[in-house]
Amino acid sequence: MPCLPTDNDRYASEPASVLVAAVHGAVRDLVRRRWAGSGLDWSAFAAAANERLITKDDLAAIDAAVLATGHRYAFSALISASERPAAYRGTEPDREGPFCFAHPDAPTAAADPEGRALCGVGDNVVRRDRNVRGRALYVRSSQEVIALMQQGVPDGRIAIIDDSGGTLTAPILERFAGVVCAGGTVRSHLGILTREYGIPCLMNVKLTGVFNDDMIELETSAAARTADSYQRGEAMPARIWKAEP
Amino acid sequence: MTGKPSYVQLLEANNLIQNFGDSTYWLCLTRTVQGSKLFPVSPYILLSYLNAFYRYPSLIRKIEAAMPAEAIADRARQMGIKVQNSSMGWGLPCFYLLGREYLLNLGLIGPQDAAEDVVTVMDFWRRFQLAWHRNDGHITNAEYGQRAQILPDRRLEVFKADAFDCAEGDPLHEAAQLFLATVSQYGFLVSCESRISLTNSGPYRIDERHELLIRDFMDLAETSLPWLDDVAADVPYNNLTVTMVARDCHFHLVDDWGSFESEPEFSAARLNGIGLYTSDALSEGYQPIAMGSAQELTEKFLELNTIFKEATNRLWLRMAGWSRDQLIDAGAIAYYAIAKDLAHVAGVFDPADWFEIDPRAERFRPILSDEYSDAALGELVGGISLPTQQQSPFTMMKWSNRATKVLTPLPYSILAGEDYIARVGEPQPGGSHLPPKNDRYRTTRGVLGLEAYNAAAATFVPQTCREPWNFLCETWVKYNSASPSADELYRLEQRQSRTLRDKGV
Repeated sequence: MPCLPTDNDRYASEPASVLVAAVHGAVRDLVRRRWAGSGLDWSAFAAAANERLITKDDLAAIDAAVLATGHRYAFSALISASERPAAYRGTEPDREGPFCFAHPDAPTAAADPEGRALCGVGDNVVRRDRNVRGRALYVRSSQEVIALMQQGVPDGRIAIIDDSGGTLTAPILERFAGVVCAGGTVRSHLGILTREYGIPCLMNVKLTGVFNDDMIELETSAAARTADSYQRGEAMPARIWKAEP
Repeated sequence: MTGKPSYVQLLEANNLIQNFGDSTYWLCLTRTVQGSKLFPVSPYILLSYLNAFYRYPSLIRKIEAAMPAEAIADRARQMGIKVQNSSMGWGLPCFYLLGREYLLNLGLIGPQDAAEDVVTVMDFWRRFQLAWHRNDGHITNAEYGQRAQILPDRRLEVFKADAFDCAEGDPLHEAAQLFLATVSQYGFLVSCESRISLTNSGPYRIDERHELLIRDFMDLAETSLPWLDDVAADVPYNNLTVTMVARDCHFHLVDDWGSFESEPEFSAARLNGIGLYTSDALSEGYQPIAMGSAQELTEKFLELNTIFKEATNRLWLRMAGWSRDQLIDAGAIAYYAIAKDLAHVAGVFDPADWFEIDPRAERFRPILSDEYSDAALGELVGGISLPTQQQSPFTMMKWSNRATKVLTPLPYSILAGEDYIARVGEPQPGGSHLPPKNDRYRTTRGVLGLEAYNAAAATFVPQTCREPWNFLCETWVKYNSASPSADELYRLEQRQSRTLRDKGV
C-alpha cells in the first residue's frame, strides 16, 4: 500500500477523539487503496481523487461501517436524531417524572438565612445592580418554542436553555425576565443577544434540581466573566439559588 | 497568480498563514462555544470549509478579473456590507485554509498541493486587507491590538455631528436599544446561527468620555440569501449601519470577528448617541435613514423593529420546517458565501457560484454526523490536536506554548522540484436542497433583477473612489487642508449631512 504525503509524519499523534480517528483512518485507507489501484503518480492521482476517484458512496460506506460497530452518534441538533433515529442516540434517557438538569459538578448547599438554597453556578454576562428572581421555565425544543409563540410566555419567567445559540429561542427570547444557559460562554450568541436585550443571563451553567415553576435567583450582581479569565482558565462563578416563593 | 510560486511568494503566504492560524486559535479560544438545537452547526461549518477550498480560488480569479482586490477594498471603506469583518478580516482566508487543513488530515491532499491556489487566496486577501485598513496602516484588527479604525476623518466628522444625543429613559434611547436587540436576533437567524450578519468596527475617540462604535447589520433583505425570499419582502434595507456613541465606556477590543468588549461592560445605560445609515455596492457611501430629527429616527427604529420582529417569526417558522440537509445547506452556504459581496461590488455575482455545494465538497456529507463534526471541528480549531497540527517538540505556539500549529505552511520543497498540484480546478456544477434564489435584489436603487444589478455595479464608481479623490488620503489632508481640493473632498462626504452640508474642511 502506498504512503500518502502526510503518512510519514514525524510529529503526528492520533486525533483526540476516537470517532475522529476512526473516520479519518477509514478515509485515509480508502485514499491509499484508490491510489494503489490507479497506477498514477501522486499529483495525477490527487487531481483525479478530487474529481471522481473518491465518491459520496465511498464516504457513505464509511459512515455505515462506523454504525456497524454498534456506535450511535450523539446529536447536537434535534433534527439529526429525529430524522435518523437508528443512527443517533435518543434525545433524552427515559426517566420518571418532570425534567430537570442534574449537572454532576453543580454546587449545592442548604438554605441560607434568606431561604436561598444554592443549586448551581454560571458565567455572568453583564454585571447588574441587583440579582434577578423568577420562575424557571425549560425551553429545549422547537415544539416548545412554537407553543410559547402561540400561548405567550408568562410574566417573570427565567428561561433554562441548553442551547447557547441565538436561533432556537429567537421568536420568544425578549419575553423572559432572565436566561440560564447550560452551555457556551458569555460571548456565545445567546450571551450577546441577552446583553442587547438587557436580559440578565448566566452562561455555561452547572445546575441541578431546578424544575419548571421553581422560583430561582441568579447572582447577576456578580462580576461579569472576562475574555482574560477564559484564556487563563480561571472561573468567575455567579451563583444560582432555589428561593422561597 | 500563475505558474510556480516564487520563494518570496511562499514566504509571504506562510507569514499570513501563521499569523492567521494564531489569530484563529485566540478567537476560537476566547470568543465562542456555539451550540444549536436547531442547526447542525458543526456539520455545516465543515461542509462550508470544503466548499471554500474547492471554489474560492477560481471565484477570486473571476472577481479580480473584473476589479482588483484593493479597488474593492477602497469602496468597502464606504460601505457597511459583507466586505469587512468578519467576512474579509477572517472568514475568507479562514474558511479556505481550514478546508485545506481538514483535507490534509483526510489524506486527499499533501501540504504542497494547490500551492498556486493558496498563494492566490492569501495574496488577494493581503491586498484587500491592506487597502481596507489603509487609514490605520494595519492588516488586521489583531495586528492593531484588536482595533479597526477604517474610516477617514471626513466621514467620522459627519457621523459625529449628525448623531442624535440620547439618554436612558428617553424615547430615542429606548427605541434604539429595542431595534439593536431585534436586528441582532434577526441577524443570527438569517445567518443560520452564525454571527456573520453582524459586525462592529472602531472604536473612534470622540472626547475624553465618549467613543464611537460603528455597528453593521448585513444581508437583511431579499437580496442575496435565498431563504430570505418572501419572508423578508417587507425589509426595506439590505444593510444597516448604526453609529453608536458610548459614554464612560472604553471599547478595548474590537476583533477580526467584529465582536467588541469594553471596560466597563457596555450596557444600554451607556448609549449616548445614535445614527442610522444604509449602503451597498450601488450607493454613494453611507446614506442617512430618518436622520432629519430625533423624533423621525425614533419612529424609524420602532417601524424597523416591527418589521424585523415579523420577519424573524416568518423566517424561524420556515427554518423550523426544514430537513437536516436543508439546514446544513443553508448554514454551509451562509458561511461559504461570506465573500459573495466581493462579486456584487465587482458586478460579477452569479448564484451558481455562491449558492451551490460543489460536488467535491458534497461527497463528504455522509460522514458529517453531529458527533463526528463536533469533535473534528473542535480538534481543528480548538484542541489543535489533529495529526497535521503537531510540530517539533521545540515548538511553542503563540498563546498556548504547545508544540502545535493551527495551519500547515506551504512547503518550500516545491522550489526544489517536489511534485504538486497547482490548482484544484474550476467549480463544478453543484446544487442544494433549498429552493433557488428568485430574481429580486433589494438595493439602494430599488429592487433589481440580477442582470441589472450586475450591470449597474460593474459601471458604478463612487465619487470619492474616482481620481483624484481616491488617493487624497489622510496624510495628504493633514498637510493640504487649506486647498480647494480638500474642501471639495469634504463637501462630497457632507452632501447628505444634516449638520455639515457644504461646510467643507
